Amino acid sequence: MSTAPIELEQPDAAEADPLQSADRPWTTIVWNDPVNLMSYVSYVFQTYFGYPRTKAEKLMMDVHQRGKAAVSTGTREEMERDVAAMHGYGLWATLQHD
Amino acid sequence: MSFTFRAGPHRTVQANLEAVEAQLLAYLFGQLLDLIGPDEPPAAGADPLAIELGLADLAAEPEHVAPPDDPALARLFPDAYPDDEAAASEFRRFTEGELRAGKRGRAQCALESLPEDKGGRFDLDEEQAQCWLGALNDLRLVLGSRFGLTDDGQEPGADLPGDDPLRAYVPAYHYLGYLQETLLEALPR
Repeated sequence: MSTAPIELEQPDAAEADPLQSADRPWTTIVWNDPVNLMSYVSYVFQTYFGYPRTKAEKLMMDVHQRGKAAVSTGTREEMERDVAAMHGYGLWATLQHD
Repeated sequence: MSFTFRAGPHRTVQANLEAVEAQLLAYLFGQLLDLIGPDEPPAAGADPLAIELGLADLAAEPEHVAPPDDPALARLFPDAYPDDEAAASEFRRFTEGELRAGKRGRAQCALESLPEDKGGRFDLDEEQAQCWLGALNDLRLVLGSRFGLTDDGQEPGADLPGDDPLRAYVPAYHYLGYLQETLLEALPR
């Protein structure tokens, strides 16, 4: 059993949360289109992002019913990679700067 | 037992097509390859050494890369930044060649795995099955674009004029959807 250095227990450690920090304000948006099969969109979310089936299907339903869904968040570089991958799969994806 | 795609051993997919289906698919995969086209040659006047060293961007003022004129190609290679033309152009400059190569490669690999004259039973390894999945989807995107599909409620082909030769592709569009759905069920997870 190891003891954590005391510094890590300071409350401002939360500011280092990578999801909150300033270099991750970009989002990959997938838009609804009338061609892609629902089963295919869900398959892509599971295969590419490694999302569990329930999460992939929830995102797919958001795309289908609301017209779009935010499928990943990160740096601009990471999101450009995700958007390009979505285009490779034939999904209609764009980057959004929050 | 009759099947189109089913899971085989060792993460393979077993396929079974009638001769006429195989001939149709060979034709469609070929059309897709023609549409995607060959590798884009480097822009005229670009310094080959600079390109090889990855310095082409430093050597020349980056040129604007517009979306493809053909709406079907524009659907395969959409704008990544809908409200920022300069960023969309940059993105296109860095990614479209690779995307094009990927789509061409999958269509080519699907075509090569197909016993195109006689059909019958054949096996797809994991990579070939992914080629089929991608190529079937790209074909449906192209046909959907040609049919002018923009909304979920639209009946494919219903908006085409009665004498439009594209109408002949409506059954193919539905058939490709059936194939893709069946293939998804047969893929290893």
